[in-house]
Amino acid sequence: MSTLRIKNLHAEVEGKEILKGINLEINNNETVAILGPNGHGKSTLFNVIMGHPRYKVTKGSIFFDDVDVLALSTDQRSKLGLFLGLQNPSEVPGVINSDFLRAAVNAHNDNPISTYNFYKVLDNAVKEVQMPFDLATRSLNEGFSGGEKKRNEILQMLLLEPKISMLDEIDSGLDVDAIQIVADVIKKQQQKGQGFLIISHYARLFDLIQPTRAIVIINGKVVLDGGKDIIQRIDKTGYEFIKTELGIEIQKEEAKMNTVSIGSCAVKEAIKK
Amino acid sequence: MICQDFRIVNLNEFSDKKSASFDIKNNEKLLFIGCKDFNLTINVLENVSALISMLFLNDDSSFKLTINLAKDTQIEAFCADFAFETFKNNVSINLLGEGAICNWHLASLSQKADNKSHSISATHYAAKTTARIDNYGVAKDDSHLTFLGVSHIKDGSAKSKTSQNAKIMVFDEESIGTAKPILKIDDNDVVANHAAVVGKINEEHLFYLTSRGLCEDSAKALITLGYLKPILAGFDDNHQKQIMDLIEGRMNNVRY
Ligand SMILES: Nc1ncnc2c1ncn2[C@@H]1O[C@H](COP(=O)(O)OP(=O)(O)OP(=O)(O)O)[C@@H](O)[C@H]1O
Ligand SMILES: [Mg+2]
Repeated sequence: MSTLRIKNLHAEVEGKEILKGINLEINNNETVAILGPNGHGKSTLFNVIMGHPRYKVTKGSIFFDDVDVLALSTDQRSKLGLFLGLQNPSEVPGVINSDFLRAAVNAHNDNPISTYNFYKVLDNAVKEVQMPFDLATRSLNEGFSGGEKKRNEILQMLLLEPKISMLDEIDSGLDVDAIQIVADVIKKQQQKGQGFLIISHYARLFDLIQPTRAIVIINGKVVLDGGKDIIQRIDKTGYEFIKTELGIEIQKEEAKMNTVSIGSCAVKEAIKK
Repeated sequence: MICQDFRIVNLNEFSDKKSASFDIKNNEKLLFIGCKDFNLTINVLENVSALISMLFLNDDSSFKLTINLAKDTQIEAFCADFAFETFKNNVSINLLGEGAICNWHLASLSQKADNKSHSISATHYAAKTTARIDNYGVAKDDSHLTFLGVSHIKDGSAKSKTSQNAKIMVFDEESIGTAKPILKIDDNDVVANHAAVVGKINEEHLFYLTSRGLCEDSAKALITLGYLKPILAGFDDNHQKQIMDLIEGRMNNVRY
C-alpha cells in the first residue's frame, strides 16, 4: 500500500498565501472527493503536489511513503506514481499528441517501447476513453473541444498507470455519456488499486464512482474530512452550513490574473490558407 | 496550385562569382542551399506564382537576398536558418507590380556562441500589394539572435497590406533575443500591423510535459520542435528530415 501524506502545507503564489495549513492523507485504495467554493485553493493544492514552478511552498511537508515529494522535480514526481489531470490542459502547438504520449510512456520505462507496441497500447486506451483516433495524431490539445481535452487527460492517466491520480474538475465540459465513460475508467482503475483525489463541483460524477471520503477546502484549509454524505449535502444546500455550523467565514475570491506567453506559430496558419 | 518537385540549387557551386540571379518559373519550387558571403537575386515575372526556400547549414557569415515581384505574382518564401557562428542575413522583398503578394516564413535556431541577425524588409512600390513577414526564432546557450526589418509602403501604393511579426523564444539567462520590426507608411489607404514578442518558453507548457514524466530537456526539445516545425512546409522530404534531425540534435536528443 502507498500513502500520500500532506502535513501543515502552506504555499503562496506571487507573494500571496493560498494554502494555509493543509493536512491530508490518502492511501492508494481510497478515492477522496474534494469540494470547496471557487478560488479557495483546490487546484493550487494539486499544482503544489505536482511541483508547479509558480507556487512556492513556505511550510509543511508532502511525503509519498518515505519519499520527500517536495525534494523532487516535477518529472520525478510523475515517475514516482503521481498524476495530475489538469482543470485547463494547455494547448501546445506543433507538439504531436502521440509523440508526446510516447515520450511520456518512455520516460516511465527503462527501455523505449517499440512503435508496434506503443500503437497497440495507444489504440486500446483511445478505445477505452472513446476518443477519435485522429486526436492522437493532432497537435497536443490544439483546437480540441473542452470534452476532448478532458478525455485526453484520462488517456494519459491510462497510459502512465499512476499510483495516485489527482483529477481537477475532470467532469467539467463532459457530456453525460462522457462522464459515464470517465467514471467507468476510474472504477476500473480503482479495482486495480489506483488511488484518486478528485475535485468536482457536482455530485453526478461522485454518484457514479462512490468515493470513500469527502473533504472540503475553504480559505486554504481542509475544514471538513468525512463521509461521502457531505457531497449530497453541498449539492443540495451549498456551503452555507459551513458558516452556520462550523463558524467558518468564507472569504471572497479575488479577481484572477491573466498571463501572456509565447507558444503558437502563425506560419502554420499562413500555410493552411 | 504548386505541385512540382523541388529544384535544388546549391549556391556553393556559384561561390567563386559570389552572386547569382534567377528568373523563377510559374509553379516552380526552388530550394537554395545557402553559401558564404553571397548575393542572390530572384526575379518573379508577371503572373508567376511559385515557392522559394532557403536552407542555411554552415558558417554562411553574410547573405543577401533580393526578391523582385512583378505584377500579379505570388511567392511563398521559407527560410530555415541553422547556420552557425556569425550570420547576417539581409532580405529585400520588392513588391514592384500591382497585386504582388509575398508571404515570408523564417525559422531560426541560434545556439552556443552564435551571433545571428536577420533583417527582412518589404517595400511596396505599387498598389494592392501584400507582404506578410513571419519570423520565428529560438535563442539558447550564449547566443544572440536579432530580427530586424522595415516594412515600407510607398506613396501611391493604395490598398496594400503589410505585416511584420517577430517572435523569439529565449531559453537561458545568457542568451539574448532582439526583435525590432519597423513600419513606414507613406500612403493612407493601407492595412499595416506589426508584433514583436521576446520571451521565455511557456511555463505552463513546460509544466504540462514534465508532469507526464518528460525531463526538462526533453520537454523543451519537443516544444521547440513544435514551434519551428511549420517551416517544414517549404521543404522536400529529405530536407524536412534533415531539419528535424538538426533541431533535435541541437536541442539535446529527445527519447522516442
Ligand atoms: N498562477 C496563479 N497566479 C496568480 N494567482 C493564482 C494562481 N493560481 C491560483 N491563484 C489564486 O489562488 C486562489 C486559489 O485558486 P485555485 O485555482 O487554487 O482555486 P480553486 O479552489 O481550484 O477554484 P475553482 O473551483 O474556481 O477551480 C485564487 O484566488 C487564484 O486567483
Ligand atoms: Mg480549480
